[in-house]
Amino acid sequence: MIELRGVSKIVPSGNGTLTILHPTDLTIPEGRVVTIVGASGSGKSTLLGLIAGLDAPSSGRIVIDGVEITSLSEDALAQLRGSRIGFVFQSFHLLPSLTAFENVLVPIEIAGGANPASRARALLGEVGLADRAHHYPSQLSGGEQQRVAIARALANDPPIVLADEPTGNLDSATGRQVIELLLEIHRARRTTLVVVTHDPEIAAIAETTIRLKDGKVVDAAVASAG
Amino acid sequence: MLFIVRMSLRELRASWRRLLFFFLCVAVGVGAIVTLRSIIQSLRYGLMSEARSLIASDVIVQTNRGWTPPVRGRVDAILATAPVLARSESIETPTMVRAEQGSTVARMVELRGVEPTFPFYGTLTLANGARYSHRVLEGRGALVGPELLVQLGVAVGDRLLIGGQPFTIRGVIEKEPGRRIGAFSFGARVLVDLADLRTTGLLGFGSRASYQLLLKVDEGGVEPLARQLRDGLRDDFVSTRSFRALEGDIGEDLQRAENYLSLVGFVIVVLGGIGVWSVTRVFVRQKIKSVAILKCLGATTSQVLAIYVAQVTSLGLAGSLVGVVLAWLAIRSIPASVVASFGASVYGLTASAVVQGVAVGLLVSLLFALVPLLEVRRVKPLLLLRGGLFPVAGPRAFRIDWLQAATTVVVAASLLVLASWQAGSFRAGGLVTGGFAAIAVVLYAVAWGFVRATGPLTRARWFPLRHAVLRLRRPGNQTRVILLSVGIGCFFVLAVRALQENLIAEAVIDVREGAADLFVIDIQADQTSGVSELLTRAGEGNAPARLVPTLRARVTAVRGRDVNLEGFSDVRGRGSLAREYTVTYRAGLAENEEIIGGQAWPETPLSAEGPQEVSIEQSIHERFRINVGDTMRFDVAGRPLEARVVSVRRVRWEDSRSGGFMFVFRPGALARAPHTFVAFVRGPADATARARLQYDLVSRYPNITAIDARDILARIRAVVDNVVLAISIVGGIALASGVLILIGAVAMTRFERVYEAAILRTLGANTRLLAAMIALEYSALGTIAGAVGAVGALGLTWAVATYLLDIVWRPAPGLLALGIVLTATLVAGVGVAASVDVLRKKPLGALRAE
Repeated sequence: MIELRGVSKIVPSGNGTLTILHPTDLTIPEGRVVTIVGASGSGKSTLLGLIAGLDAPSSGRIVIDGVEITSLSEDALAQLRGSRIGFVFQSFHLLPSLTAFENVLVPIEIAGGANPASRARALLGEVGLADRAHHYPSQLSGGEQQRVAIARALANDPPIVLADEPTGNLDSATGRQVIELLLEIHRARRTTLVVVTHDPEIAAIAETTIRLKDGKVVDAAVASAG
Repeated sequence: MLFIVRMSLRELRASWRRLLFFFLCVAVGVGAIVTLRSIIQSLRYGLMSEARSLIASDVIVQTNRGWTPPVRGRVDAILATAPVLARSESIETPTMVRAEQGSTVARMVELRGVEPTFPFYGTLTLANGARYSHRVLEGRGALVGPELLVQLGVAVGDRLLIGGQPFTIRGVIEKEPGRRIGAFSFGARVLVDLADLRTTGLLGFGSRASYQLLLKVDEGGVEPLARQLRDGLRDDFVSTRSFRALEGDIGEDLQRAENYLSLVGFVIVVLGGIGVWSVTRVFVRQKIKSVAILKCLGATTSQVLAIYVAQVTSLGLAGSLVGVVLAWLAIRSIPASVVASFGASVYGLTASAVVQGVAVGLLVSLLFALVPLLEVRRVKPLLLLRGGLFPVAGPRAFRIDWLQAATTVVVAASLLVLASWQAGSFRAGGLVTGGFAAIAVVLYAVAWGFVRATGPLTRARWFPLRHAVLRLRRPGNQTRVILLSVGIGCFFVLAVRALQENLIAEAVIDVREGAADLFVIDIQADQTSGVSELLTRAGEGNAPARLVPTLRARVTAVRGRDVNLEGFSDVRGRGSLAREYTVTYRAGLAENEEIIGGQAWPETPLSAEGPQEVSIEQSIHERFRINVGDTMRFDVAGRPLEARVVSVRRVRWEDSRSGGFMFVFRPGALARAPHTFVAFVRGPADATARARLQYDLVSRYPNITAIDARDILARIRAVVDNVVLAISIVGGIALASGVLILIGAVAMTRFERVYEAAILRTLGANTRLLAAMIALEYSALGTIAGAVGAVGALGLTWAVATYLLDIVWRPAPGLLALGIVLTATLVAGVGVAASVDVLRKKPLGALRAE
């Protein structure tokens, strides 16, 4: 379960400050599919980054599966991400010097998981890229790169998968395939899936949709604006 | 741990090409260290194992005053109580020889008279593989160096006149213990029987003979005996050396040479280190995204840091190993005869040199990479969610990073320790590290000033200039790094070349117009008028030859305090005050002298019994702080003589017409002491007439020696040529390192420039415009780097020439100006050449890749 209590993000801007996210309370139960929608600059990615522990909130508490992450050190956060959170980026962010197979291998090796090679191969098979395992990112299409990124996100079998506009850099057909893949994985593994998007079609697939406007939650079935 | 190793290997697969140049720099430096150390270690091993044959005995006792009965008595008394197994006497003296018939040439030789027991150790080899036996010398036989046969046009079986006496050449010396081929000498070796030498009359008063007593001693008794002899004969101007002490001296001398030469290699490695530092900075910037991804995937900061440290270590090790291969190739390419001429029969890579080279290469790579690598700690995974990848050096970089600051201090201290280890001296290590730090600070300050000074040009109307300046100033620019690496490379190369020019200018003192080029020494008092007449007749323009009286003297006390003469090495270590000086007396100043302190004495001579007066040369006054009014005590031919210093003279040494003397006495007591004369003359220009004059002198006065300055200069020139060659090679290596760093620095920023060029092309810029921008950017950098390097080189050569080498400093402005122009051209050329693919690349590909 993901719980946010009074979480806000304020950054210095010029001589004053800029509130990117106003104090927000949010609860996302285990195994749900949630989308976060809103216009550009509404604070969607900031919210997702805070949940992943990629950024520290200016106020409030974030609790992931009973662990309050706001008090964790940078290295402890890294370990938490390695074991409990898979992240999929809009720009894929694969390591360019590593093959697809090695990209999937890295998080398993960091976490010290068993049988990393066979696991990585299995995951690439799961996303339909078994025959592209030894290609470098530059030799793969956008859709293929995103599928590698999804396999990498699942490498340590995390209970939570966060995706930041995963179809933003893809054409609509490929984008649909990627969303299908994420949903398939959610169904097969019962992962909590949180997707940031501004595509209404994708938003429609969610059990819960959180709408953000100017850093405030304006509409959410499971959320209450603070 | 396994993850770190695997990850480093994967990353290396992609990054090694980009880092190649810098690790080549490390390789070149390590190669230099390993080559120099290996050769000198081989040499040391060779010479030390032959220390006994170098002195042909266990202990050698020598004096240049002859064995007077009292000294002889003391020596015998000491030897009587020691386990001496055998003794042998020998006398060495420089003299002139000529062929009895045929040629009219006389040559200076180094004559040595030996007894049948010579040598105790080592073998004397004759040409055609004949073995030496003393029997060949019996009955006025002589063995000669091969060069003498050519010089005099004689052959084995012919007769030589030595000291006016005929000797038959019985063989040619190929190898003599204690004498190395290629070592500097005044003339060919001639070996005769000691008893025969004594009959020649060459050992009369004023001769320059060295009297030696060679001892073969029971192994355990060598050092005690040497000590006893040294202590017992302290005041008799007798020196004693044991082969063990010689081993020690050779060891120490060569160790020092090895360390100082290795410092040159170390400097080259540090140049490579600067390259490593600059490449690591750029590398980290290019790896920000990968670092962020790894952190996002759960890697801790220390894991990420370890991955990159492992990469640098692997490449440092690889570079060092390549350096060892380079050293192996370099050593193999040196002809065996060259190394053999210095005394090493077996040479090759030595384990200790390899270990030291690899350790230095590895440590320097690691130390220089560490500080920039610490930047990865600041990379936050959050930046993956943001569109642009902001550079590490943002506004936050102005905060003091204590860990980075502490690491910088540790790195600097480690470099100091490393340099001191290589130099074998904390002082030398400190000087090198301090010098580097100083020039680095200066270059950094200049770079900062330069970037500020170019501010107004950002509004220049000419597009390429405006953009070249903007590139120099953009965030994360390479301006400081290129200025630092190229500036230091240029500084080092120019300093080496300028020093080389200074050394050559100092060493190649040619015989000037009208200067004396023939020195006739050991002229006895009764020979002065005859010699003078002969010289005047043969001299150029029949100018009257001037004969100068000379005596040999040692300083024994200054201001009443004894000048210690304990041992040979002590004297050497303490400077030159206690050595034997050739002194003269005269009423006035010579043409090449002027008084700079005190007063000239009147022309009237002093009474021989009263206190005497002496004038000292400027360097004696400065080096030993001896002033006008001080009293000095001399030992002149065994008699004590006290004199008061009344003046300090400056001698223009380059003007050799009147010679030069450290001590000149007012006529008085010295005129009564037994002395010989020397003549400085301008000999005939024609070679035949010159040879004829020397021949006539030696024929008539067999005891005197004519030293041909032209001959000696040719020998010195040959030695200097070798030194120049060695310095040029070192300078060339440093230059190669500088170019490698430059190419590497340009190549590293290629990725950014490809992207920029693509954008400019999209906006309508053509290849010429882009090339002009790049050329302007890099020629500006090259000019500044060259100028700072030149100024640094100027300072260094001045300091080294003035304080270390004690030679006249010549600023070499032409060389420095050429250095600046060449550096600017080189940097611009390399900048454009390394950017050729940037200019050729299609913009779309570059934009997509980004």
